[in-house]
Amino acid sequence: MSADLPPEAYASALASFPHMSIHRLGALLRHHPPDEAYAIAIGEHAPSGLIERVLVDDDVRAAWQRAGRSALLHEAWQRCVGLGLRVLLYDDADYPVLLRNDPLPPPVLFAEGDLTLLGGRRAAIVGTRNATAAGRDTATTLGRQLADADVHVVSGLARGIDGCAHRGALQTVGAGRPIAVVACGHDVEYPREHRALWRSVAERGLLLSESPPGTSPEAFRFPMRNRVIAALSEVVIVVESRHRGGSLITVNEAIERGIPLMAVPGGVHNRAASGTNQLIRDGANVVVDVTDVLVALEMDHRRSPGFVDPRPRPSGADLVVYESCAGEPRTIDGLALACSLSLVDTAMAVARLEHVGWIQQSDGWFEAVGSPLR
Amino acid sequence: MLAAVRSATLLGVEGRAVTVEVHVSNGLPGFQIVGLPDEACRESRDRVRAAVMSSGLPWPSNRVTVNLAPSSQRKGGSGLDLAIAIGLLVANGDIPGEAVERLGFLGELGLDGSLRAVAGVAPMVGAFQELTPVVPRASFREARAISPGPVRVALYLREIVDALTGVAPWPDEPDDDFVDDEPVVPDLSDVRGQATARMALEVAAAGGHHLLLVGPPGAGKTMLAQRMTGLLPSLTPAMALEATMVHSAAGVRLPAVGMIRRPPFRAPHHSSSMVSLVGGGTSSLRPGEISLAHGGVLFLDELGEFSPAVLDGLRQPLEEGVIRVARARASATLPARFLLIAATNPCPCGGGPPGSCDCDDGARLRYLRRLSGPLLDRFDLRVGVAKPGVDDLLQSGGGECTATAAARVDRARRAAIDTRGMLNSEIPASHLDLVAPLQPAARLMLRNELERERLTGRGYHRIRRVARTIADLEGDPTEAVGEQHVAMALQLRVRLRVSMREQVA
Repeated sequence: MSADLPPEAYASALASFPHMSIHRLGALLRHHPPDEAYAIAIGEHAPSGLIERVLVDDDVRAAWQRAGRSALLHEAWQRCVGLGLRVLLYDDADYPVLLRNDPLPPPVLFAEGDLTLLGGRRAAIVGTRNATAAGRDTATTLGRQLADADVHVVSGLARGIDGCAHRGALQTVGAGRPIAVVACGHDVEYPREHRALWRSVAERGLLLSESPPGTSPEAFRFPMRNRVIAALSEVVIVVESRHRGGSLITVNEAIERGIPLMAVPGGVHNRAASGTNQLIRDGANVVVDVTDVLVALEMDHRRSPGFVDPRPRPSGADLVVYESCAGEPRTIDGLALACSLSLVDTAMAVARLEHVGWIQQSDGWFEAVGSPLR
Repeated sequence: MLAAVRSATLLGVEGRAVTVEVHVSNGLPGFQIVGLPDEACRESRDRVRAAVMSSGLPWPSNRVTVNLAPSSQRKGGSGLDLAIAIGLLVANGDIPGEAVERLGFLGELGLDGSLRAVAGVAPMVGAFQELTPVVPRASFREARAISPGPVRVALYLREIVDALTGVAPWPDEPDDDFVDDEPVVPDLSDVRGQATARMALEVAAAGGHHLLLVGPPGAGKTMLAQRMTGLLPSLTPAMALEATMVHSAAGVRLPAVGMIRRPPFRAPHHSSSMVSLVGGGTSSLRPGEISLAHGGVLFLDELGEFSPAVLDGLRQPLEEGVIRVARARASATLPARFLLIAATNPCPCGGGPPGSCDCDDGARLRYLRRLSGPLLDRFDLRVGVAKPGVDDLLQSGGGECTATAAARVDRARRAAIDTRGMLNSEIPASHLDLVAPLQPAARLMLRNELERERLTGRGYHRIRRVARTIADLEGDPTEAVGEQHVAMALQLRVRLRVSMREQVA
């Protein structure tokens, strides 16, 4: 055992052990200093009677001993140092106060970026990865407008709603910043197409993970990640979620912690909004625009700058076609039928609307984009 | 004791003349076939022997050697049975040699001396040139369609022997009652709604554009594709002859008139093997599904489920209109000029309006990646087919019938051939400005699409060809392509959402 390594190094190595659940790691670190906990895990030290119970599984002990034999200890620490990560232990002075009193606090936290952001106002925006154009647009707008009002936006850097919320927060003119909690290591930028976004969040906001560098995004890590998102937020906003979407895990964690819940209503035919509509039916507060969130946070919202839509307003047939898509997604056939236009006239109208950016098409379906005409 | 009888074998869709030489000599009794016969051909030894004896004819108790000339060329199948039997009887002195001089024999023998049809009679008769074909009665239609002169038919070997020895006249040609048994193509008027998809079928037929239908199960993709051949004009005489040859060579039953005159429709299942699709396999290189679709429509349902190698095999025929099948001992060029219609779901779960898909991005991406790449690029038309709405289903009366649309298609095709000498899908990119100039508004619209990266360079040329076809269908084939034509063409090329970021432009 090397004497020159800081306690954080032992904790990081422990966190990267196979089968090292939050519960096991928490138990080890609560009762022993990190270097001693490491020695226990690899079988070189006897555990205290209190925690022997959590370590009885022979398979787990064997896997840990194998892990302990490899050069994991130094390697894990070198990676943290190389990436410039702060490693926070539960007892550290810098460990977020918000998490210290949590029912299931992260035993180790890997942080990149500005930790003082956790002292500001924070709202989580979560939702489905497979969002509609309207949902993505709402998430982006809400993210930007919350950040404009100096509220930090907490989310998970996933595809769909999460990524859009962070993107929106990065576009701000205000002091709000993105705070991301991810389920994998800091160097495993997942999903790949969010690599640039991931870097921007780390540079301009805060990027947190319970997993040491090199950890891959395994499915079981996401529900745990969601609990941290809920724990870090003052309010959780669900933009779009299916009936059994993963964002409902965040919702449950928020309910458990007594954190207020808000949901953006969606069309009754929109399956991507079936979960959020159910939340509203169950009593979640409704979010139609950023004001609703700011009121829930008891903030003065009059400072939020107005937003002017730069797109030229449609008129004539274009307006009819736009309003037809604004209700629900439509195909070109559906539009022609609903607007009583010929196929060619409809094609002309959608070409003009798409050019200006009022609608967008995917898989042959047209959706209205952006805030509705007022 | 030597005889030579003319016959033919099949390689791909071409007949090759074969001379069957039979030598009967003293020596140990035996029967040997030389000249690169394949397994089926070698077995004819036993069939011929049984058939000759069942017909009440003497079998020589001498040494019999059969040579299939040219002996360097591989011969396959059972079509040489009849020629071998006749050659043997001539060599044995049972039939006078001069009786068989102007005749070519084709057919398989049954052990009871009956004649059975073989595949590829049409191209093999084609190889006879001025010879009079003698074929099994069941092959009469095929022989009749190709042969310039009379055709001799028989049901039994004995009938032929009697005719050749002058004992009896040739059996009469069968006077089939003319029955119109060409396949009936279902009518477009059965389709409710689906205005865009209908238009896509019409454009595909008029310009020869390949079409990809994208939509959830039950939206009517197969129903639409089945109605495609009704929109295409009848085959030109040259094309009809090629199609007939292919069908004959593959052993597919021909219609009563003997010629394939209507464009064929082939819909191979997605589990089809490479060989069944592109051809080959046997030593005679049997034509595959894509050749059977020559002149007509090849419909690939569930495109993503076909194995990638099979889809890759489609690239040469799509490019050149032929498929070159080469094997170690033989190679053949098979015709394969078809209109490709493919159908696919947008994702594994079937999709639907945005937000209704349950698939995660990875699964979606994998699904579409199987289609993307070179093959996806060849579709000029990509059309979303949604499940018809309630309004459409309740709409009184169906849509337009096939005949009305087919008339427009025919006019547009004629116009294209008359003014440009080719179908619109074949216009080279360098000629587009000449034959499909754009009005300023249309040019602006395309520029916008290109600038927003909603269109690739290749997509740009395809859109222009499709817009030309739409303009042709509407009226004047010499006028410049207008904004409305381009707008419509863009709608016939939907963007597939591969993931949140990536789209197939």
